[in-house]
Amino acid sequence: MSEQFNQTIARRRQVIDTFKQELIRRLNLAYVPEDLHEDVSLLGSGLGLDSLDALEIVLCVETCFKIKIPDENISVLRSINTVVDFVIEQQDAKGGPA
Amino acid sequence: MRESPLQEKLAAAGAVFRERHGARVVSHFGDVRAECGAVRDAAALADFSFVRVFTLPETPGLDLLDALVAGNVPKIRFGRVLHTFLADQNGLLAADCFVANNDQEFVFICESILPDAELDALLAFGGKEPPAKDLTPGHAVLSLDGFKSWEIAKHIFGADIIGLPYLSIENYQFEGEPVRFIRAGKTSEFGYLLIAPVKIAAPLFDTLKAGVEERGGRLVGADAHDALRLEGRFFNIFREGERVRDPLPLGLQWMIDLEKENFSGGAAIKARRAAGLKRKVIGLAAEANCATLQSGAQIFHEGRSVGEVVTAGVSYVLNQPLALGLLPLELAFSGLPFRVGTPDGAVARSISMPPIMPRSLTVKLDEM
Repeated sequence: MSEQFNQTIARRRQVIDTFKQELIRRLNLAYVPEDLHEDVSLLGSGLGLDSLDALEIVLCVETCFKIKIPDENISVLRSINTVVDFVIEQQDAKGGPA
Repeated sequence: MRESPLQEKLAAAGAVFRERHGARVVSHFGDVRAECGAVRDAAALADFSFVRVFTLPETPGLDLLDALVAGNVPKIRFGRVLHTFLADQNGLLAADCFVANNDQEFVFICESILPDAELDALLAFGGKEPPAKDLTPGHAVLSLDGFKSWEIAKHIFGADIIGLPYLSIENYQFEGEPVRFIRAGKTSEFGYLLIAPVKIAAPLFDTLKAGVEERGGRLVGADAHDALRLEGRFFNIFREGERVRDPLPLGLQWMIDLEKENFSGGAAIKARRAAGLKRKVIGLAAEANCATLQSGAQIFHEGRSVGEVVTAGVSYVLNQPLALGLLPLELAFSGLPFRVGTPDGAVARSISMPPIMPRSLTVKLDEM
């Protein structure tokens, strides 16, 4: 595999793993990280989290990655993958992973 | 073949039909793009009488259903709905299910890929005094979806519908007959399922249709619903579900209570989970003119086949082809380029799903 391809996977995997582990711990979910598909819906259908859980997710991202999700940007919370996209975008905007 | 009680009305409205697992369903009304647009921007009405609907008394319904479906039935609070699945003894998907705890009864709704007789055998609700009542022959099921669908439901059934959370059930009356009303759309816009006796199916259909058309919406078919489910990354048993069958690569672990001891196919599913996941589905998107992102197409990476497309369609919001591909775990990450069809075929990029922000997520009904 090309170097760039590998780097994309490695970086994404790191953010996903960190986020999933913290999400499971904070919300006391009865899953292991491998059980959580990255496209699973966080709110409503899927994991069915409520507005308090959404606040936990925002705090989780802030704690793990030192990145704030603005109140008006709820679209970030559609799935684990969309949260990860946001984290990587924000890291890039700051010049790379912390 | 099973037909909807609304068959004649649908045909008169221009429906194009097809068969799906022993039931005649509406494919479309001539313009799938406009039908998808109606859901995103206004409201839409679809006939969902292809689903199987059963009711069971609380006892023994709770235990019977809990022994069948993957989710935890005793944990369903009164008035709420569990979204889960039914698997066969090999742990392969048979039906995408809602189980609703509704005032001394359970309502069990199945989108099944099994013929009716096979589903009946799997459910084993038979016997001299079957505890389950099959509502399917005597009822119509309508799906009211869309950004403005709540306005229509409120107009007909009252303002209480605004307070209904996603995955909840309520009982209403229409022309003196009971309507089981479930908030449970799969388009990512507001959505409601209405289960109504045949006696009032036609007038209810007409009333909903009028409400939809007043708001710039229209009748829609299964093709539009398939496209919207893909765009919203709602599981579709008639597409990726039927092709993959194993709930784990499809990412349906959230529908399973992993602490539950027994359910249909549970042992097989738990054994596969313990062995470790090898592949999983991921979203793919291609350029607007790509014709090869089709279900069944091979996915290539560095010249070798690494997976296959398990469902494909078009996002009319993004105006580009979308798909789900089944890939090895080590490649199932978004943001990567693949080739589809042939080793040097069109490029499809893996993407994060869902790729759109539904309009309904920007509205708080309880603040309206």
